Amino acid sequence: MSTPLIQLTGLTKTLKGQGEPRPILSGVDLTVRAGESVAILGRSGSGKSTMLSVIGLFDRPDGGQYLLHGDDISRVPERRAARLRSTEFGFVFQRFFLLKHLSAMQNVAMALVNGQGWHARRKRRDKVMAALEQVGIAHLAKQKPQRLSGGEQQRVAIARALVREPRVLLADEPTGALDTETGALVIDVLHAATDRGCGLILVTHDHAHANRMQRVVRLADGVLVQERQQGVLR
Amino acid sequence: MALSGRFRSALVIGGQGIRARKLRTFLSMLSLFLGVLAVVTVQAGAEIANRALLSDIELTQGKDGSVTAYLQSFEGSSEIIEETLRGQSDVVAATSVQAIVGEPDVKPVNPGGSPIDQTDMYSSGGSMICDNRGCRPTEDATRPPGQAVEMRLTGLGGDIRPIRPLQLESGRWLEFGGEPSLAPSLVLNRAAAKAFERYRVPAEMRVGDSRTHATPRIVGVVNDGGQAPAAYVRADELANWQPATSNQNSSVELSYWPSSERLVQTLEARLSAAGMQGDIYRRVADSREHIGGQLDLMRMIFLGMAALVLLIGVAGILNVGLATVGERVEEFALRRAVGTPRLLLAGIVLAETLIIGLLTAAAAVGAGVVGLEMASRLFGAREPMLQNVAFPWQAGVAGVIAGVVAGVLGGLLPAIRAARIPIATVMRA
Repeated sequence: MSTPLIQLTGLTKTLKGQGEPRPILSGVDLTVRAGESVAILGRSGSGKSTMLSVIGLFDRPDGGQYLLHGDDISRVPERRAARLRSTEFGFVFQRFFLLKHLSAMQNVAMALVNGQGWHARRKRRDKVMAALEQVGIAHLAKQKPQRLSGGEQQRVAIARALVREPRVLLADEPTGALDTETGALVIDVLHAATDRGCGLILVTHDHAHANRMQRVVRLADGVLVQERQQGVLR
Repeated sequence: MALSGRFRSALVIGGQGIRARKLRTFLSMLSLFLGVLAVVTVQAGAEIANRALLSDIELTQGKDGSVTAYLQSFEGSSEIIEETLRGQSDVVAATSVQAIVGEPDVKPVNPGGSPIDQTDMYSSGGSMICDNRGCRPTEDATRPPGQAVEMRLTGLGGDIRPIRPLQLESGRWLEFGGEPSLAPSLVLNRAAAKAFERYRVPAEMRVGDSRTHATPRIVGVVNDGGQAPAAYVRADELANWQPATSNQNSSVELSYWPSSERLVQTLEARLSAAGMQGDIYRRVADSREHIGGQLDLMRMIFLGMAALVLLIGVAGILNVGLATVGERVEEFALRRAVGTPRLLLAGIVLAETLIIGLLTAAAAVGAGVVGLEMASRLFGAREPMLQNVAFPWQAGVAGVIAGVVAGVLGGLLPAIRAARIPIATVMRA
């Protein structure tokens, strides 16, 4: 059996704010393989986004082990974390976070112009156009975000996540700001990425979208509970 | 390669940031412009004043590092000097005598060779001569006043301009090749040219107490920095008309570079053997050191004031930079999320302020160049310092340095803030 893409073992994370420290993750175990899609369900404030932050190396766990392709990156320094974020992960957020002053094309290119290597203008353009093509909006490449619909904006954000050909796609409620039909289209685009061997971790409240993933887990009381391996969600 | 990628990324993203906030960039530049312009102006003014002062001093004292040696002539000394220095253009001997050019047998308009604008001050009582029979008016002083100009006539053994950069203003300089002419060629200084223009004197020249008068040919005018009328002539052409007695007890100046010291030592040895009393006195020109001290204090005071104005500009950039980082929290968090290192984020903010600083410096230097050109055209006729003045490169460099320093100072704090923005900001938004 091949090495898992992501393997979390006994992961813990406590939020230290002004009040009492609040444990968010209390021993999370999760394994994701290449091309596998996993949905994470849970109530608001249950720690889904915190867990995604830890997986995406925005934050570090307080305890436990985090293996990426078998490498322990639980305590990876920020410099290497930035490189891994660039090369291994693609991020899609509920709010699309497109920069208003840049065109769709430039917004996608942002992931390439990040100081992690340099792509010549022509190569950059080819990669960006391929990513926009992949999400079906190549014809909108020169449009500014203000002139795009919500679904189109989210697809630009997905193209930005895909342009570096990541191994894992992390999506935090990507359909939260979209209507049902547009949301379904966005999930189609994300799902298509798994066909090319990309792992997908989707945080969502929507059971219908979760149902389209190969595996569904629920985060409750700081631990993950398997809801379904294959088939329909209860 | 990695550095190049980061550097290019910083420039691309910085450029995008500036284009997205054109008005804000313009206002930042405006606040900085006056500060950089002040630095450029002070530096340019100091350099121009420095050059003008240096140029004036070099005209009279010679270029920095050159040596002027003085010796008292005596019977037979001129032959030794001529023989030793023949064919040697590195050491130039100069002898000065008084000469009167104009109507014969009249009292000159400036007895004693004083500046023609100050003749009342110097010539109210006329020239006097004192010897063992007591003091009495000179022969010239007893003559009737007429159209003649008295001047110092310097006989040159060679071209002195490589050491004393006399500025040719019209005509030509003396030619030292070929046989000497019986009609000596004269190059006047400004003051002499002014006197000739004012009095329109006929050209007849009497050297010292000579009874025979030469007919000089005036071939050019130079600026030698002197206020009193003077003229330059080939030493051999002067010798034809100079009474033998006037050569004795006059002073001889030798101008040369230190590399020719050996030749001067040979001359000194030969003169000593022929009976010269004492040594040759030498003076090394150190104009820069001389005027440096005078200008440095003024320059520092004005640069201090310019720095204060620059500081206000820096505060402006800093203020705008901090406000911009506050507005771009999500952008910076997002950039970190897609893999941009903290250091590069700081670099992007610094690149933006540096670009603003450099653009402002370019604008201020440009304004300085145009301003100087206009000042030269408008006031050049009245103010010689501004005539044909070139923009000093030092002022350009000072402007660029001021722009870079302002960019770094104004961008440092915003850059640190940008680098500290947590990525989780995008997750919590």
